Amino acid sequence: MLRPLPRTPSRLNRTEMSMRDKIWQINWSLIAVLTAIASVGFATLYSAAQGSMEPWAIKQMVRFAVGIGLMITVAMIDLRFWMRHAYGIYAIAFVLLVAVEVKGTIGMGAQRWIDLGFIQLQPSEIMKIALILSLARYFHGAGQQEIGRPLFLIPPMIMVFAPAILVLKQPDLGTAMMLIMSSGALFFMAGVRMWKFVVVIAGSLAAIPVAWQFLREYQKKRVLVFLNPESDPLGAGYHITQSKIALGSGGLFGKGYMMGTQSRLNFLPEKQTDFIFTMFAEEWGMMGGLVLLGLYALLLAYGYAIAIRCRSQFGRLVAHGIATTFFLYFFINTAMVMGLVPVVGVPLPLISYGGTAMLSLLLGWGLVMSAYIHRDIPISRRGMGED
Amino acid sequence: MSIFAPRRHTPGFHAGDDLQAGAALRLDGVRMQAIETGRSRLVITALVFLLAFGAVGARMVDVAVIDRNPPKPHAQPQARTDELKMERADISDRTGVLLASSLPTVSLFARPEDLKAAKVDIESAAIRLVAVLPELDLEETIERLSSGRQFVYLKRNLTPRQHYDVNNLGIPGLLFQKGERRIYPHGPLASHAVGVTDVDNKGVAGIEKRFENAMRESREPLALSMDIRVQTIVRNELARSVEEFSAVGGTGMVMDVRTGELLAMVSLPDFDPNDPPPPTDPSMFNRATKGAYEMGSTFKLFNTAMALDLGKANINSSFDASKPLVFGGHTIHDDHALNRWMTVSEILIHSSNIGSARMALDAGTEAQRAFMSRIGMLQAPPLELPEVAGPLIPSPWREINTITIAFGHGLSVTPLQLLAGTAALVNGGEYHAPTLLARAPGDAIPAIRVLKPKTSENMRQLMRMVVTDGTGKKADVPGYEVGGKTGTAEKAGAGGYRKKAVLSSFIAAFPMDAPRYAVLMMIDEPQATKQTFGFITAGWTAAPAAGRVIAQIAPLLGLMPKTLPIPPSGASKGIARTGGGREVAAVE
Repeated sequence: MLRPLPRTPSRLNRTEMSMRDKIWQINWSLIAVLTAIASVGFATLYSAAQGSMEPWAIKQMVRFAVGIGLMITVAMIDLRFWMRHAYGIYAIAFVLLVAVEVKGTIGMGAQRWIDLGFIQLQPSEIMKIALILSLARYFHGAGQQEIGRPLFLIPPMIMVFAPAILVLKQPDLGTAMMLIMSSGALFFMAGVRMWKFVVVIAGSLAAIPVAWQFLREYQKKRVLVFLNPESDPLGAGYHITQSKIALGSGGLFGKGYMMGTQSRLNFLPEKQTDFIFTMFAEEWGMMGGLVLLGLYALLLAYGYAIAIRCRSQFGRLVAHGIATTFFLYFFINTAMVMGLVPVVGVPLPLISYGGTAMLSLLLGWGLVMSAYIHRDIPISRRGMGED
Repeated sequence: MSIFAPRRHTPGFHAGDDLQAGAALRLDGVRMQAIETGRSRLVITALVFLLAFGAVGARMVDVAVIDRNPPKPHAQPQARTDELKMERADISDRTGVLLASSLPTVSLFARPEDLKAAKVDIESAAIRLVAVLPELDLEETIERLSSGRQFVYLKRNLTPRQHYDVNNLGIPGLLFQKGERRIYPHGPLASHAVGVTDVDNKGVAGIEKRFENAMRESREPLALSMDIRVQTIVRNELARSVEEFSAVGGTGMVMDVRTGELLAMVSLPDFDPNDPPPPTDPSMFNRATKGAYEMGSTFKLFNTAMALDLGKANINSSFDASKPLVFGGHTIHDDHALNRWMTVSEILIHSSNIGSARMALDAGTEAQRAFMSRIGMLQAPPLELPEVAGPLIPSPWREINTITIAFGHGLSVTPLQLLAGTAALVNGGEYHAPTLLARAPGDAIPAIRVLKPKTSENMRQLMRMVVTDGTGKKADVPGYEVGGKTGTAEKAGAGGYRKKAVLSSFIAAFPMDAPRYAVLMMIDEPQATKQTFGFITAGWTAAPAAGRVIAQIAPLLGLMPKTLPIPPSGASKGIARTGGGREVAAVE
């Protein structure tokens, strides 16, 4: 298949890029897609506040602007820098997770935040990015034979499960599952054998009865309600019942912007955060929902294309990991509001009101962009330029 | 992919490959394999993503468009009693929910002579009968069966099962009389409005009595103006307040200010019409329509409206409230005296008795009497209930009465009059007679103009200010622009007014920019609790109850919470309506 290619021009073969080159390489269409999705969020938050910029839309816009700035900054930084410091970032995120366990702010019955005064830091969000970085570094340059050795997989497993257990203790089942699932995707991409996945999945299925004992009362209830939503329509099943009513009442083309009765008359809970997709779909209907779905699919295609196009394994894995995390956010949230999966607190990425999720997602896309800008730079096993 | 510059597409280049031609030659079998694995796995994950997107999309279409439970035809479910000819028509609320219905029953009676003629052993017959109908007393049954009368009732309203069992006994001389029994599925919920029938199926109270003939002639259900959902909320909240403040009772009503229809009418304590207490029981008393009370400060609304409408004052006119008003041996004090001149709006917000009295004196006794008559305070409203009382009007109506009536004493009216009068204050100035019957959509709504529209507009502003800045803060509901007035009237007892026995009321209307509904919550003799810091005034007792009612019924009645003004630029098609008209088309 492979025929010898003509020698590529030297500008593609160098290990350093000037700042001017990098700026030239910024993928503006990717930023445009991100902005389009975020704008849907601004409009919906404006409507959720009964037609007011306060208290949500304006703050969300500021966060998005800051996030885009952060994203471009991250993208400008050499991918090798991120690779060299991947373990360090992971260590910081882990320390923060422990700190939140020791003295964090309790909110909504869970211990998730560290109050830094100007921002409420949610270390589990940082961990999502840090975990992807350090796993990508670990698997970067690992040969097929090494990956084949079970012992080789022990350290990354610890890297995944240590924070996942901490997050689970907060308790935040949704985030813990996302950590495990996105890492699973990375393991898969790195080339871990299929039968190992089969073993792990079978093992966890077998562990479900044991894990059930450790679930909190409200989590058990959510699962039971998921299995039979009509069992308690005014109690634990309230959210999902109202959500389905709102989605159904939107119909084909929706009730019109700012005309969603379910959400505006406060029948729909958490309409500005976890159930914002419902509110959007009530006002814009099935067509609006499908258009939003299309935007997300487009964004993921970008992430995917960048992963494919990346020359280094590290860049490929990072782009793939971020895209997967983003996909999981989106999928779990939309599937939840439609009653396809149990209710878990996962926001709709870039649209739900919330600071840390927005910033960490844009930071992640900054890494993807960095992988895109530095796509042709080869990286050695230790993170140096290869020559 | 189009996101990449076209020059990057070099023929022979494979995604994920090492770009350097030299490197391609260096590829050994292991790395080849790794790349192949990576590529196939990319494809697999892409497929999984695609599948997940497909699932979400399909589900989206499913929940949004495909309706697995198509709405059933809207006709009322056919009951098995529908073919039967009943003596009385049903009573329903405005949405068709059944409030009173009739069931066919049989009553058991005996002809003692027939038993004697058939030589039945009375004692054993009675034992067998009591075995089937355990509610009967054996001694009494024997006595009745052996009495010399032509006809004795043994038991009324047997269930079909009991009917069957008694028939099976085969005792001669026991006969059945067909009849019907009135059933009230909601129990006490609307007892005072719907009323009750006696054992002979004859209406003795409420709508049942008022429309006795009409219901016997018609087969169509009689639709009341009441909305059972609103009625439930009002009753729940009123009961909660009555219990919280250990009050002796209370009343709550909701009226559509544009039509005069009553959506809810509750009087506590109430009773279960399926098992009514004797007519003299206090729970049979309908406070909402039959109790005439001195209303206290809520009357200042009428007083202010009168002064504004006569042109004697505008909102900014000032009156002297710097010292108590002495008139013919009586001294009028303020509860929260400011001891200064006050504007009309201040008088209402701080509920000044002195200021109100001076406004009334300015207008004069005759003008006050004429105004009170216009707004329905001097005659019983023509509500469709037998239990409607008239006001207690002072006679003669002297100047001292003019002063006390200004702040709600000396003229006792029913809560219904207060509600209907207030509705006229806020709806643009038209008095609609209150009604318990649902108006058909096309019906002309009788209206009497009692105020200038401008006065009504001023009253709306003032009532809103009472809630934003005055005594009614606890009744506010964000987004619904509640306006109202508190009233805490000391109840007259032997030897003067009783300080600790008050009638706390809150009269409200919402939303204040275009009022749709008026709400009255009144609590009779509330006792102070820790939560109210010892206060029994309406701002602490009736106002929160009214707020809770409004917060629940407003969304239910399809009213949108108020939106902030939207800048004209960037407004999309749907926005234009939200400023003025607030109902949602989808709701109607």
